Amino acid sequence: MSAPRTLDLFAPAALPARRTSPARAVVVPQTTQRGARASDAPLWLGIHVAALVAEAAGTVPQTLQALARRAQRFSPRITLAPPDGLLLEVRSSLHLFGGLEGLRRAMAEECAQLTPAVSLAFAPTPLAALAGARTSGSFVVLTAAQLTGSLAPVPLTALRWPPELIARLACLGVRTIGQALRLPRAGFAQRFGAARLADLDRLMGRASDPRACYEPPARFRRRRELSYESTNLTLLEAALRPLLEALGRFLAARQCGVLALECRLWHRNAPPTGCVLRLGAPLADTQRLAQLLGERLRTLRLPEPVRACELRAGVPVSRVLHSAGLWQPGEQGGLAAGSDLDLLERLRARLGAEALETLALVPDHRPEAAWRVVAPQADASTRPARQAERTVPLFGGAVRPLWLLPAPRLLRQRGGLPRYRGALRLEGEPERIETGWWDGRDIARDYYSACDVYGRRLWLFREREPPHRWFLQGVYG
Amino acid sequence: MTADLPGNGAAPARLSLADPRLESLLAHPSIWRAGSAVRAPVWPSGFARLDECLPGGGWPRSGLIEIIPARFGQGELRLLLPALAAITARDEARWCAWVAPPLQPFAPALAAAGVVLTKLLLVRAPQRGRRSSVLWACEQALGSGACDSVLAWTRHAPARQLRRVHLAAQRGNALGVLFRARESAREASPAMLRIVLESRAGGVRVTLLKSRGGVRGAFDLSWASQRNRPSGSP
Repeated sequence: MSAPRTLDLFAPAALPARRTSPARAVVVPQTTQRGARASDAPLWLGIHVAALVAEAAGTVPQTLQALARRAQRFSPRITLAPPDGLLLEVRSSLHLFGGLEGLRRAMAEECAQLTPAVSLAFAPTPLAALAGARTSGSFVVLTAAQLTGSLAPVPLTALRWPPELIARLACLGVRTIGQALRLPRAGFAQRFGAARLADLDRLMGRASDPRACYEPPARFRRRRELSYESTNLTLLEAALRPLLEALGRFLAARQCGVLALECRLWHRNAPPTGCVLRLGAPLADTQRLAQLLGERLRTLRLPEPVRACELRAGVPVSRVLHSAGLWQPGEQGGLAAGSDLDLLERLRARLGAEALETLALVPDHRPEAAWRVVAPQADASTRPARQAERTVPLFGGAVRPLWLLPAPRLLRQRGGLPRYRGALRLEGEPERIETGWWDGRDIARDYYSACDVYGRRLWLFREREPPHRWFLQGVYG
Repeated sequence: MTADLPGNGAAPARLSLADPRLESLLAHPSIWRAGSAVRAPVWPSGFARLDECLPGGGWPRSGLIEIIPARFGQGELRLLLPALAAITARDEARWCAWVAPPLQPFAPALAAAGVVLTKLLLVRAPQRGRRSSVLWACEQALGSGACDSVLAWTRHAPARQLRRVHLAAQRGNALGVLFRARESAREASPAMLRIVLESRAGGVRVTLLKSRGGVRGAFDLSWASQRNRPSGSP
C-alpha cells in the first residue's frame, strides 16, 4: 500500500520548502485565531502506538493503516503521523459517543483489537496531541487556554526534534517545552532555526497546521496466508470469512456494493487458481457474498493444496438501500424484496453466467428466426407483463410444436417417405414456409406433422429443392 | 369418498351421513381425513376430466408432482400448458423456471398457447455435474419464493433428494413438476402426485399412480376437451 495521496502542496517532498517560507497560504484555519467559541474549536485525538517502528523510510506500517481504516468511524478527518502516530479531529463526533470519556473508551477498544500498548491524548492542536500521547496516556487538554500550562512539563523529546538539537538545548538547561517557550523568539529562531520556532508556534496553536487527510484505498484487496495447506473447501470458506467480513466493513463504510469479486487461491507450485464472481446488482451483504462465493468455489478444480487466498473486489458501486420485507418468504404475500435477484445470482454462481436465459419473440416466419434468447431481467418476475409481451403470434391457424431441435435432423427415407425410429405416418395438410433472402438464410420447405410408432407427434419438413431431403425439426410434446 | 365412515351402523347413537352434527364433528381441525388435501389451493388444469380426478380439482399450488411419460414428447408438456398459461398471465406472477429442458422450447408456440415469455426462466445445467445440479437448481428455485412453478427434466432422482425438493416447494409456495423416465415409475417418491402418460389418438391416457388425498386410476383425456383454448394453441 502506498502512502495516502495528498495534494502536491502537502506532499512530504514539499515539506522542507514549506517550512522555510513562513508566509504561506493558510489552508486549514485554526479557529482559535479567529476567537471562535471553544465548542467550535478543533479537538485532536492523538494516538501513539508504542510497538510500531518504520520498516523503511517513507512507508506507513500496515498496522497504522489498519488503525486508520478503523478510525474512520470516529471522524472524517484522519491524519497519519508515521511511523507510530495517528491523529483524529474529534470535536464534532464527541456527542456521538457520549462525550470525551465514551469516545476514549470506544477508541481504546478499537485499538486493542489491533495492537497492544496504545496511548491516547486530546489537545486543541495536532502537534500537542501527538506530543501528549507520546509522553503519557492521560493527557487531556480541551481548550487552547490550558495548553501552555499542560505542555510546560512535557519533555522536548516528545517533539521528535533531531537528537543533537535536543542535546544542545539540554546544555542550555532547556529540557521541557515550557522552558523552550520562555526563550526569546528572535534568538531561538537565530540559534535553532526558524523551522523549530514554527514547530513551537504550531504546537501552541499560534500558527496553523494544515494536514493531509488520510484517504482510504479505493478498492478492496486483501491476502491471507493459511496456516495449513488444504484442498478442503469448507476450510477454505472458513479462511475466506475474515476477508469477506473485512470486505463487508469496507463496503459498509462507503455505502457501496460490489459487482465483481475475484478470489485467488495460491498454491505451492501451480499457478494461482482464479475464480471470479459476477453479480447482477451491487451487493454488500457478507453472508450472501460468502454463500455465492462458496457456490462458485464448489465448481473449481484445485490442482494442489491452497496455501494462501486473496480477495480482490471490483470498483465499489453505490447501491440502492432498501428496507427488508415485513413478511417472511412463503408467508401470505411474503415475497422478500430481491428474492428473485437472489435466486438468479445463486444459480449463476454455481451453473455459470450463461446458464440462465429467457425467451423473446422475433417477428419472423422462419422457425429458427422467430425467437431469440435474452438475459433474464431481475424485476421481470415481479413486474406485471406489459401488453406488448402478451402478444400472441399467429400462424394463420397452423399449429406449432412446443419443442424445437437445436438443428434440423436429417431423416432416412424409404420410398420417398421419411423414417424416424420406424415408419412415420404423415398427418394433415403440408404448410409451406419459404424465403429469407434478406439475411442469407433462405429456406424453401414444406412442413408436415407426423406420428411416429410411439404415438408422438413430430414436426418434419421436406426441402423443396432437389434432392428433397427430409428433416425433423420439432416435437409437439 | 363420502361413505368411508366405518361401522356407522353399529354405533349406539346412530349418526346418519346426512346428519349435520357429523359435519360439524368432522370440521374439527384435529381430525384429518384422507381427502383433506382437497382444501389446499390448486391451479385448474384446464381439462375438466383431469380436474375431476386430481385432488382439490387441479394441480397443487405448492408441492412436488411427477409426470412420467412413456417417452419424451407424448403430451406431458401439453397437459400442463393451460395451467402454465394461467399461472404466468397473472399480474402478480413470479418466475416459471424450466430446469434442464431436453430440447429448445419453441417460444412462438408457447406464446400462442398463452404463456407469458418474460416470466419464463430457462436454466441450463452444465454438462459437468449435471445430475446433481438439476435437482440442486430445482431446490433453489422452488425454495427461493421467486418462482410460481418449476419444471425439471431429469433421470437421476434419488428419493432423499426428491424429499428435499418437495420440502423446498412447500417452503417457497411453488409447484414443482418433475418429468421423469418411465423406469422411475417403480421407484418410491415423496411427490404428492405421480402421473404416467401414454399416447392415444387425439389425446393421452392418464394413469394416476399416486395421488395424495385423491383417487387412483386411469382414464383417457382428449386434447379437444381443453377449456378456453387460445386460437393458436397446439
